[in-house]
Amino acid sequence: MTGKYHLITYAVAFIIILALNFLLPRMMPGDPLTAIYGDEALIAMTPELQEHLVERFALDEPLWQQFGAYLGALVSFDLGYSYYYNASVFSVIIGSLPWTLLVVGTSLVLSTLLGIILGIESGWRRGSKTDRALLTGLMGLNGFPDFFLGLVLLIVFGVVLGVAPLSGAVTPYAGLTGFALFLDVLRHMALPVAALTLAHLAGSYLLTRNTMITVLKAPFMLTARAKGLKPGSIKYRHAGRNSMLPVLTMTGIWLGRLVTGALFVELVFAYPGVGQLTYQALLSRDYPVIQGVFLMVAVSVLAVNFIVDMIYPHLDPRVRHAY
Amino acid sequence: MHISLKREIKRSHFGQAGLALLALVVIAAAIAPLLTAYDPDQQTAASLLAPSADHWLGTNHVGQDIWSQLLYGARTSLAVGFGVGILGLILSIIFGVSSALIGGIYDQIIMRIVDALIVIPMIIMVILVAAYIRPDLFILILLLAALSWQGGARVIRAQALSLKESGHIGAARAMGAGRFYVARRHIVPDLGPILLVEFIYGVRRAVFIQAGLAFLGIGDPMLVSWGTMMRDAMSFSYLNVWQWWLIPAGVALSLTIIGLTFVSHAAESVLDPRLRGEAVA
Repeated sequence: MTGKYHLITYAVAFIIILALNFLLPRMMPGDPLTAIYGDEALIAMTPELQEHLVERFALDEPLWQQFGAYLGALVSFDLGYSYYYNASVFSVIIGSLPWTLLVVGTSLVLSTLLGIILGIESGWRRGSKTDRALLTGLMGLNGFPDFFLGLVLLIVFGVVLGVAPLSGAVTPYAGLTGFALFLDVLRHMALPVAALTLAHLAGSYLLTRNTMITVLKAPFMLTARAKGLKPGSIKYRHAGRNSMLPVLTMTGIWLGRLVTGALFVELVFAYPGVGQLTYQALLSRDYPVIQGVFLMVAVSVLAVNFIVDMIYPHLDPRVRHAY
Repeated sequence: MHISLKREIKRSHFGQAGLALLALVVIAAAIAPLLTAYDPDQQTAASLLAPSADHWLGTNHVGQDIWSQLLYGARTSLAVGFGVGILGLILSIIFGVSSALIGGIYDQIIMRIVDALIVIPMIIMVILVAAYIRPDLFILILLLAALSWQGGARVIRAQALSLKESGHIGAARAMGAGRFYVARRHIVPDLGPILLVEFIYGVRRAVFIQAGLAFLGIGDPMLVSWGTMMRDAMSFSYLNVWQWWLIPAGVALSLTIIGLTFVSHAAESVLDPRLRGEAVA
């Protein structure tokens, strides 16, 4: 794909996201205000508020003018108002975002690094007992849904062994500061991060292993051996580095999977991130929050994909010269 | 392709293990009424019973027999999985093959939509739409199929493009065969193994997402499903009921997905000759 195609792809993706968010509530049967604002808003509804909201969404105007009003609000980061939290959707999401970023970011780094290392070792020893055990084990692990892995970890370490906290991101009312607070946060995030990392390890592992198998057959590997380089140096500096490239292109897609995985895992551990927020919003039909989460998650995944697409040609010159 | 897909899958250990797991789930779903005396929906006053000779896995919080729920849950997972797998595959073939054969602007438009849909995480699209329309089983199958054809369409298009250039297609066209005839008679049958791999991917994704949605509590709350069982069991995790309630449901779901993963891995090695001849084969 050339740069032009990339831009068109992201533009189309963005339009699909906006269209879903804009059209879904307006296509629902019944009062569009309820569909846009959810059940919670009806309790707070007064004639003045209703009038204000109809005007705010241009609901008495034709559809294309409503879309204009919608876009206008988005540009100023106005994602709507949650009557459940009595706060703007933007501030509600921003409040829980750091916890999700912490868990997702850590798991992304851990699962990618571990997957690459295991993939290199496995591909290097292709066909050996270690390789077979790793391949079978990780493909089996791949079958466990992240929320089930989370539940198993919660039961084993939280309920049976009692060594890990059962819920939350920090111990409430403990008033911890400094290093003690750091340790407390670490203790709370350990299980959610472990669940996500284990569930997503197989992706980077399988990809690295497959590339490794192909790279090991390349002529430059023979050259490296003939030069008398140490096996460790051949494995990591020659074969390994080349096997990492496809993994990088997948980072954006994996980020998307980890974020959606976090939605489920946070629910298991009652971790106060975006997943917990989404779950609460689904229960209380707080549509503005659901829409806001969808918009933010989808747009951030698009952004990361875009950045990866932009960096990649600089890391792999073959791509740059391919056109 | 001159490789027998069936033989290849049966020859690989992964293929055998996967097929065995899937057979187990299919049989459990098919003969569920013979394996249990209880109706999985039947609520009784005997709630949260421990396993006994009457209730092999005890009962849940509203007194339903957990063993029956486990068996009938297989039906839900398989119905969604295979329903979405087939519908999604049909959409993939329609868009992939037509893109390859028609080309031009049409191809461009379809492929840009495909790329865009690949970048947006599918689960979050499903959650958003499901939050509004609260789908029942049938609508859920349609919804998942409508959102999961993009990956298959791209792969099928690539394969159809290379088939299009091969001699026998040119000969058929030269003898006056129409595009639709060529697609139906020559291209789709030759796609064989790719279609199977894409179908299994689709089934696996659908089983996974259905369980996830049920776990989140979106969709039909009355539907017996492994995701719903895990969701209900989770709220009682402080009791020891997880041993016969949560774990069996999670394991059944995981084994189904692992079975599908193993079969698709065996089928993939047919498509990618570099991965063939592994020690595991």
